[in-house]
Amino acid sequence: MKGKHTVKVSDKRVRYSFELVRNITVVQGNSGTGKTKLFDLVSAYSRMKDRSGVQIVCDKPCVALYADSDWQTRLGNTHDSIVFIDEDAEYISSHTFASTIRHTDSYYVIFCRESLHGLPYSVEEIYEIKTSKRLHT
Amino acid sequence: MLNIWFGDMPDAIYDTSTYFKHTYRDQWITDPLSVEMIRDVDQSEVIGENLIQSPVLGAISPIQLSGGVKTLILISKVRDQVFNASKCGDNCAKWLLKIAETRKVVVNLRHLMDFGDGEFKIRVMNKKKIAHCMRELVLLAGEYV
Repeated sequence: MKGKHTVKVSDKRVRYSFELVRNITVVQGNSGTGKTKLFDLVSAYSRMKDRSGVQIVCDKPCVALYADSDWQTRLGNTHDSIVFIDEDAEYISSHTFASTIRHTDSYYVIFCRESLHGLPYSVEEIYEIKTSKRLHT
Repeated sequence: MLNIWFGDMPDAIYDTSTYFKHTYRDQWITDPLSVEMIRDVDQSEVIGENLIQSPVLGAISPIQLSGGVKTLILISKVRDQVFNASKCGDNCAKWLLKIAETRKVVVNLRHLMDFGDGEFKIRVMNKKKIAHCMRELVLLAGEYV
């Protein structure tokens, strides 16, 4: 998977719109800006698609990876997708995780303030969420 | 005083949102300090023990508060556990210092939180030394995060 991908995620209350340009994007920033809400929307859409009430517009599948012990298996079964990982996932700072995602063809959006030592991400791909009323970018 | 263990801390509660969901008590939400923190960090108003009004999300329950605020409430209410304060953004830093004004508070940080330009007293537990400003804190804690 290469190139730029625009992602638009929305429900009846909030809308997110952003562009991913590399395979690993880290989202940090203040509390209360909507990071977990974005993950929850992608998570609901992953499970129930259009029946979730969430809309996602993107040229690639967007999926949520949960903070559970089965993450390696599910990551192994995910291809050519945009994978969202919330900060509750303790494994994201592990070398196992870094090693695993290097061998996949997906893009990753990781909500995390910790340094992810084993991952090759650029400081230019560390984003914060900016809010304009109910639109988050 | 605020005491911080920087870096990996296996005994700390990492997933504070799950811990909050299963342990919080209704009266925590209407505690005056919680009300202030929710107003400042999430820009939301506590209506009652089970209802908070968010300007973006509308009426929400306590478990829909931000991860940062939930972690702050846990730190202020649960004294026999150490929580991962890296769930908190920099806008939570002043509240960590405020909670620790009147008692010893221990938290785990896995990143360098910005405590601002002012003076403070933070004990870096890894080094057993006290930092009085961000410059000192960076020098003491930088190698662990």
